[in-house]
Amino acid sequence: MTKMDCEYVVDYLNGTFSEEEIREFENHLKNCADCQQIIELTGELPYLAEPIEPPAEMKTRILAKVFEEDVTEEQQLEPKPAAVPMAKRTPRRNWWTPLIAAVLLLSLLGNAYAFLQLSDQPETETAMREVNLQPSELFEGAAQVKLIREDEALDVVVSAEGLEELQGDEIYQVWLLKEGQPIPAGAFKPNPNGEGAAYFSLEENTEGWDTIAITREPQAGNELPQGDIVLSSEL
Amino acid sequence: MEKSSDFTLYGRIQQKDKEALEQLYDRYEKILFSFLVKMTEDPDLAEEALQEVFIKIWRGKGEYNESKGKFTSWLFTMSRNVAIDLIRKRKKPTVPLEEVGELVNNESTVEEAAEWQEQKEQIETAVQELSGEQQKMIQLFYFKGYTHEKIASICDIPLGTVKSRIRLALKKLKKSLHGVQERGAIDD
Ligand SMILES: [Zn+2]
Repeated sequence: MTKMDCEYVVDYLNGTFSEEEIREFENHLKNCADCQQIIELTGELPYLAEPIEPPAEMKTRILAKVFEEDVTEEQQLEPKPAAVPMAKRTPRRNWWTPLIAAVLLLSLLGNAYAFLQLSDQPETETAMREVNLQPSELFEGAAQVKLIREDEALDVVVSAEGLEELQGDEIYQVWLLKEGQPIPAGAFKPNPNGEGAAYFSLEENTEGWDTIAITREPQAGNELPQGDIVLSSEL
Repeated sequence: MEKSSDFTLYGRIQQKDKEALEQLYDRYEKILFSFLVKMTEDPDLAEEALQEVFIKIWRGKGEYNESKGKFTSWLFTMSRNVAIDLIRKRKKPTVPLEEVGELVNNESTVEEAAEWQEQKEQIETAVQELSGEQQKMIQLFYFKGYTHEKIASICDIPLGTVKSRIRLALKKLKKSLHGVQERGAIDD
């Protein structure tokens, strides 16, 4: 049975679908304005609730629990790597050593946690490509991208240096392009030495990317590029 | 802008940035808690649900990407499903049918954030444009998380029509809401 019909929007909302069914329905969703509107409505319906002031200590309790649960989960996961696929976009634990340099850069960006998770791990079978990005005219910096294909996923690690300082909310945004269509693939702000790094992992749609580019965006989170391309390369 | 920065925060959370998770928590604590209390009618259970939601986000379970629509749609739907699971596991007797409550409660509370207030007024106005049956479908399906069987028996309609009635009620509500928002924009 395929989940390609408007009727399934109710089941989709109830979260009873398998991953395969979710994918099928989301394919339908892409082209169905009716279903898109219903999904959009679910971002608004909760406002029918009467506003209730959360208990003062709730935040402390919940965040403590969240971060504590995380530690226990990491420990439990160690002997059974099969459980890892649930944590889809998190950095994988079995990357091998050369990547640690790039990840160290990430840790400069306040991500020391990822580095701790990555050290001392065994090597695995992985395909990797390295590409140097070409600076646009008048841009001084340089960047390199590592594309790592591991299992079904494509990981993109960008490390850059000699970057111009950013102003205000500006950010360096990495994009992957397929036939001219970009998707955001990580963003970073350089450290005071002009170095920066971004990590991004794609679980789906990992084939066919023909270009990588870095733009200087006026603010983080743009879904389409607004700023100028500073570095780019064909893949 | 808000949507974009949610997406950015979510990306940072995927990289285990605790500060980003805290920011996301602060941003949605109140609406999620209020929503979960409306669903569960039990502040303790609502807190349990909220904790589960943020554990899921932190562990990267139930992954968000743009094919799922707006970030808030995904977040609220995920939270709703967490609450439904907890409600079904709850030992306490369920609320008697006569007390399932109204979809819209007109008592308003002091000190609501202006933005929330506006959003709330718009959706409440839109709800009033639905038929009584449609309001009931949304209340029972969306906020109470009742099974289709239970909805069929409460509303005394054939089981086979429940899904499409829910869908039509949601569709109608979205359409009305859109109309309300358009009128609001003209008034401004
Ligand atoms: Zn549809």
